[in-house]
Amino acid sequence: MADVDLSEPEKVYILHSVQENLREDGRGCEDFRHMEVETGLISNTNGSARVRLASTDVLVGIKVQLTPVDPKKPNVGRIEFFLDCSANATPAFEGRGGEGLASEITAMLTRSYSCFSAIDYTSLCLLPGQQCWLLYIDILLLECGGNLFDAVSIAVKAALFNLRIPNVTMTKDEGGIELDVSDDPFDFKRLDVSGAPVIVTVNKIGHQHVVDASEKEEACSLAKVMLGITEKGTVTAMKKEGSGSLDSESISEMIESAKNVGIELNKCLLNILKEEEAKIEEPVGFLR
Amino acid sequence: MAGMELLSDQGFRTDGRKPNELRRIRFKKGVFKQADGSAYLEQGNTKVLAAVYGPHEIRGSKGKALHDKLLINCQYSMATFSTQDRKRRPRGDRKSQEMTMHLKQTFNAVVLTELFPKVQLDIYVEVLQSDGGNYCASVNAATLALIDAGIPMKDYVIACSGSFVKDTPIVDINHLEESTAGAEIIVAVLPRFDQIVFIEMNSRLHEDHLSRVMDQVMNGCKDIFNILNQQVKDELCKKAAIDKLVDAG
Amino acid sequence: MQAGTSSGFAFCLFSATFLFLLSISTYSLDLNKFINMSVDIRLAKSRVVGLDVYHGDDPGNIVTPGDIITADTGFMRGHGTYMSEDCLHSSVAGMVERVNKLVSVRPLKTRYNGEIGDVVIGRIIEVSQKKWRVETHSRMDSILMLSSVNLPGGELRRRSEEDEKMMRNYLKEGDLISAEVQNVMSDGCLSLHTRSLKYGKLGQGTLVKVSPSLVLRRKTHFHNLPVGASIILGNNGYIWICPTEHVEAGETGGYETNLQPVSRSEREAIARLRNCVLALADQNVLLFDTSILYTFEASQKYAVKDILKPEVILEVVDLVQQRLELEGS
Repeated sequence: MADVDLSEPEKVYILHSVQENLREDGRGCEDFRHMEVETGLISNTNGSARVRLASTDVLVGIKVQLTPVDPKKPNVGRIEFFLDCSANATPAFEGRGGEGLASEITAMLTRSYSCFSAIDYTSLCLLPGQQCWLLYIDILLLECGGNLFDAVSIAVKAALFNLRIPNVTMTKDEGGIELDVSDDPFDFKRLDVSGAPVIVTVNKIGHQHVVDASEKEEACSLAKVMLGITEKGTVTAMKKEGSGSLDSESISEMIESAKNVGIELNKCLLNILKEEEAKIEEPVGFLR
Repeated sequence: MAGMELLSDQGFRTDGRKPNELRRIRFKKGVFKQADGSAYLEQGNTKVLAAVYGPHEIRGSKGKALHDKLLINCQYSMATFSTQDRKRRPRGDRKSQEMTMHLKQTFNAVVLTELFPKVQLDIYVEVLQSDGGNYCASVNAATLALIDAGIPMKDYVIACSGSFVKDTPIVDINHLEESTAGAEIIVAVLPRFDQIVFIEMNSRLHEDHLSRVMDQVMNGCKDIFNILNQQVKDELCKKAAIDKLVDAG
Repeated sequence: MQAGTSSGFAFCLFSATFLFLLSISTYSLDLNKFINMSVDIRLAKSRVVGLDVYHGDDPGNIVTPGDIITADTGFMRGHGTYMSEDCLHSSVAGMVERVNKLVSVRPLKTRYNGEIGDVVIGRIIEVSQKKWRVETHSRMDSILMLSSVNLPGGELRRRSEEDEKMMRNYLKEGDLISAEVQNVMSDGCLSLHTRSLKYGKLGQGTLVKVSPSLVLRRKTHFHNLPVGASIILGNNGYIWICPTEHVEAGETGGYETNLQPVSRSEREAIARLRNCVLALADQNVLLFDTSILYTFEASQKYAVKDILKPEVILEVVDLVQQRLELEGS
């Protein structure tokens, strides 16, 4: 994240802005900046999506791979998150500079997707006790303009929606069962993402709660709560971050805000993804 | 080559191109807001993002600073999902380190480094999708990002690859041709000065054929240059038209 | 023991009131939630874009790196050019500008190249011996010497050792200042001064960063706009928007800042100006008082936060361009 070092009066100005419910860019405390979504733009992957939220830019690619099941959970498939902070975002990420942030975000994603209703993990299992799909969800952070967690989670959900898992035919041999993955690009199954959560970060600035904070606002926030919220408003994960402390009352208020925003986000996202699916256009990618 | 005809009897390559034909090139400058310059470039299915930061104060220890010229710092990195089989890590492997070195050398040859003593310039390249010619696409994208950042350069640097199949030189080879054809030649040139700043050949090629392949690759570079230059100029013309309005008003 | 029970009791009481409060607060929050919240997700495919391909004329002065500008040796080599093989070449992509014998090429976008007399906005990043280091979006950090600032208590004051120790009390890391470029060193480092009442530490307001080449050079870069806010257009592409009264307070050269809340109407004007400046920059339109004011007026039919949306930006900036064109002809 770019080191935003604000002067005292600038911070005071932002603090008062939030209190007045008229933020620096004219938004109210619970307004999201508009964002743009596109799926299926990396043809090397089984599923991909890009989300641009103001200047926060995230690209997600998912690759599937057959793998032996986890002996402790023989009936389910597996997912694995990996996030790379590209140096394109800021020179501070060069080399291993972004690894701290990357592990923070992947930990939060893993936590939100660890609940069983998030995606249908059993459908990812081909042969109980033997073979299942492993989804490599690889995230590339290309530019940082505040509210990374939310943008990343939205891009992940969009990529999961776009995911096309090749169908597998099983034939019984004398030695056992042989798996044959289809080469036909039109022979695939989709994943049901209706239970997949998005992360909503609620920042405490002054006495107000703010969603979708810009980088400047994040610099003024002492504490934030991140929640994984599904379309039904279920909370799948929660984490508090920042140096400040919160009383339980304001946490429950923050959960309430996050729920409202999260439900709306999920709904909007699914609608727009369905709309995109109906279009048969070449992806625009970064060309626009 | 058993079972695989890189060049058909009718003279077409596996993806339908003629031997001297380039893949489709599309690009956009200024895709990011925070970098000083940035560019996205597609050459067929190879897709690359480049970002330029600087010139700015030396980051980290000041000892790295060069007292008489600009310090160019590069990083080449590939998205883990960019290749057919998933990559385990985006950078740090031998191949990307070599690529980083190559980029650094290439751009040291063309940026007017003596204008900026004691400061640093960062060039970051991220390969989003790889289908052969990663170095070429990276160089071309980084050139555009440098132009976007307004960094003084002697000329464009344009890179193009080539190979030799069935007694015919072919240009701008894709991943399939890279992995199954014999030799691969990669060249980076200053198109207006006809100078070569980088050349690399993998595998062997008969000396007699070298000049034919080189000619073809140099032509490829010229073609790429014309495509890039035309669009860069168009964008400038558009901007000039907007400015004229203001000057009049 | 006693203390334990009493605190336990207090906790019960607290949690009861807490639950009660919670139920009220969720109820009241629910009411305005649906009115206030807005989420807007759209497809990258359906974004409206301006004309992508340029069909107009080539104005004739466009060059790209390596182009020959002239083979005539009677010219002086300016920024963005270099000599090779007796020809003057361009080293950047931009427009050729000729001032008498001096030929230079101005690129669309660069770091800030300072010139003496420019107005800049900068952020203090380090306090060191007798000087401050200032970030001004140029290629090196700029320098503000202790001897180049007005200290409290009069114009002609000797700078004592106490002043040196007090430097952090005047300006500390993170503070924003407006200043003038006093000198450009040979390596490109800028030295600044604030020895005029209009320069100095900035108070409440908002900073917008655009490309330096988008700021049109004018006689004055300080404007009290008739919309209830003031703007400083730094030549380095940093633009400061603040309530008007705060500029006047700043003119006393004071280092203490007013931290009273800014009124809502001023806040709204500042937010609108901010978004207008960003809209113009997004469309590569030069920034000066008139273009900003026109945008402000053209944007009136939209809510402030809607000026962030691409289709609104296109429409508003298009109106501004038409108006500028009309007045030019």
